[in-house]
Amino acid sequence: MIMGGNPFYFYTSSNLVELTGEKADNLEELLVLLKRCSGSAIFHHVFQSYRERHFAIGKYHSDFAQWISTSLDEEVLAERLGALDVRDFTTIRSLRESMIEIIESHLRRHPQSGDRRGKTPFFFSQSISVVIPTPHIAWGLEDFYQLMRRIGVQSIHYHLIEARLRLGIHTNDFSYWIRTSLEKERLAKRIEDIDIYLYSLEKIRDLILQYLEEEKNES
Amino acid sequence: MTSIRVEDYEPIVGSQTIEELHLLAERIRGTRVKMVNSTAVGGGVAEILNRLVPLLNNLGISTQWEVIKGGEDFFEVTKKIHNALHGEKISFTQRMKEIFLDENRENLRNTHLDQNIIVIHDPQPIVYIEAKNQTAAKWVWRCHIDISSPNEEVWAFLKGYVEQYDTALFSSPRFSKGLSIPQFLFFPSIDPLSDKNRDLEPKFIDQVLEQFHIPKDKPIVTQISRFDRLKDPIGVIQAYRMVKRHIDCRLVLAGGGASDDPEGELVLNEVITEADGDPNIHILLLPPTSSLEINALQRASTIIIQKSIREGFGLTVSEALWKKKPVIGNAVGGIPAQIIPNFTGSLVYSVEGAAYQIRYLLSHPDIAQKLGECGHEYVKEEFLITQTLRRYLLLFHVLYHPQERIIFV
Repeated sequence: MIMGGNPFYFYTSSNLVELTGEKADNLEELLVLLKRCSGSAIFHHVFQSYRERHFAIGKYHSDFAQWISTSLDEEVLAERLGALDVRDFTTIRSLRESMIEIIESHLRRHPQSGDRRGKTPFFFSQSISVVIPTPHIAWGLEDFYQLMRRIGVQSIHYHLIEARLRLGIHTNDFSYWIRTSLEKERLAKRIEDIDIYLYSLEKIRDLILQYLEEEKNES
Repeated sequence: MTSIRVEDYEPIVGSQTIEELHLLAERIRGTRVKMVNSTAVGGGVAEILNRLVPLLNNLGISTQWEVIKGGEDFFEVTKKIHNALHGEKISFTQRMKEIFLDENRENLRNTHLDQNIIVIHDPQPIVYIEAKNQTAAKWVWRCHIDISSPNEEVWAFLKGYVEQYDTALFSSPRFSKGLSIPQFLFFPSIDPLSDKNRDLEPKFIDQVLEQFHIPKDKPIVTQISRFDRLKDPIGVIQAYRMVKRHIDCRLVLAGGGASDDPEGELVLNEVITEADGDPNIHILLLPPTSSLEINALQRASTIIIQKSIREGFGLTVSEALWKKKPVIGNAVGGIPAQIIPNFTGSLVYSVEGAAYQIRYLLSHPDIAQKLGECGHEYVKEEFLITQTLRRYLLLFHVLYHPQERIIFV
């Protein structure tokens, strides 16, 4: 999709939420389902549901951490799961293993937490993504800047957040293109370093635009 | 049907959302869809279809809307089925099954099913699936009601039909059942441009209050709902009486009827009896054409309550949140999906809880205002008609790519 020297093709992606019909009423049941659910379910609950409520930046992005906090009142475990950073993982498998390890470790220390029923069940869902090319193509920094102002937040999520797992590398589509096609290492790194956990997608757009403006002014 | 265009929503949802809808539609332009439900007016389903159908057509997805016909006996049976799916005990007799099946089959004889996709809404026309083998269409069952704890006999009867569909759509993860077919989450939605939700002049709002003899002398607490036991209007009056011991206020119970709901008049009489002539309780039975009046009543209210015992989704919550009103909702059906506690509203579990939250929000107008503002943003993100349109377009893509988790189009 993105090759050195090539223009940047903006894509957008939307997801339809599929209900698996499976639910966990306590931590032990969550662990069992976490081990056997699809990678798509992990992806949905950790990355994609955030996209739907991105305007409301709260304590936890991950549905799992959110449920463990509000329904089970297991705040320590919720904080540990909530602290997992998407930027540290390039595969769903490694993310799943980390989550399982954290929950199992918690249950070893607090075995009484395992079968304590939550206020509400955790319903497992998974996503089907429909990825569409947009008509927007950037041939250079100025194009990229102008298009960044008008693309949808779904497109930003696709290129900035979903890309890490799709590409299996510690970067995102924007930085990858800026580094390989525009050869602007500093700008690529600044976009990579945006803390996606602290900002709404609209705010992330503003930050990228700010970095692009600064880069334009310097060149 | 009005000639509404997708672009009409651009000032509300932004150009990026409109562009995405066009991109999704472009690749399936020419697809022919049929929607079938049981009523053309009254209730949330008819309201959604009234806008969804012209918008799909506007995007080049040729969509036809058909309303199943039936006599009084048919709609009495379907009302009982509806209540049974909400968990009510009923005697599901052979005669009832015959009426249900016969009316469905009679409708089937008089319809054309040459579309690519057929979407059947709720149980009333569910038997249309018997025609599946005579068509090349993909069949979708859209369930708008809470079937998480159904009457098992009635559910077993319907499940045999549901599992013949290609997919089922539910309004909340709570409603999903163990089914052999894929199930998707489809939040219902409101139309920000409809008479029920568009901005109104303050003068018009005052006129409506005068029309219904509702003085503006004290805070107004309102529940907008059909007169239906599942909406718990009696519980609302009980909560109001608990509040009145501390804070003076008015209660408005306003709702219309639907052509598929023969129990409405009975419940209305129960509510009038419970109100016992209290001049601060305003009970308004509104005709289906009262969208502007309902809009005005919501906007004139200090607090909106939705104290349902069972609920499909409870779109009146989204309507009120869209108007930046603080909403107190019972934690049933789709209401918890709309009310994030202490962020977009207050969730309660009892008459006492509802009464306390009314008192709290009447005493803290700053917090009430903040809840309303956040609620408005949340509805904009999730519960507007443009989101329903997006979900249907995605579904149409997904139906033609079974088993695929990432679809590049």
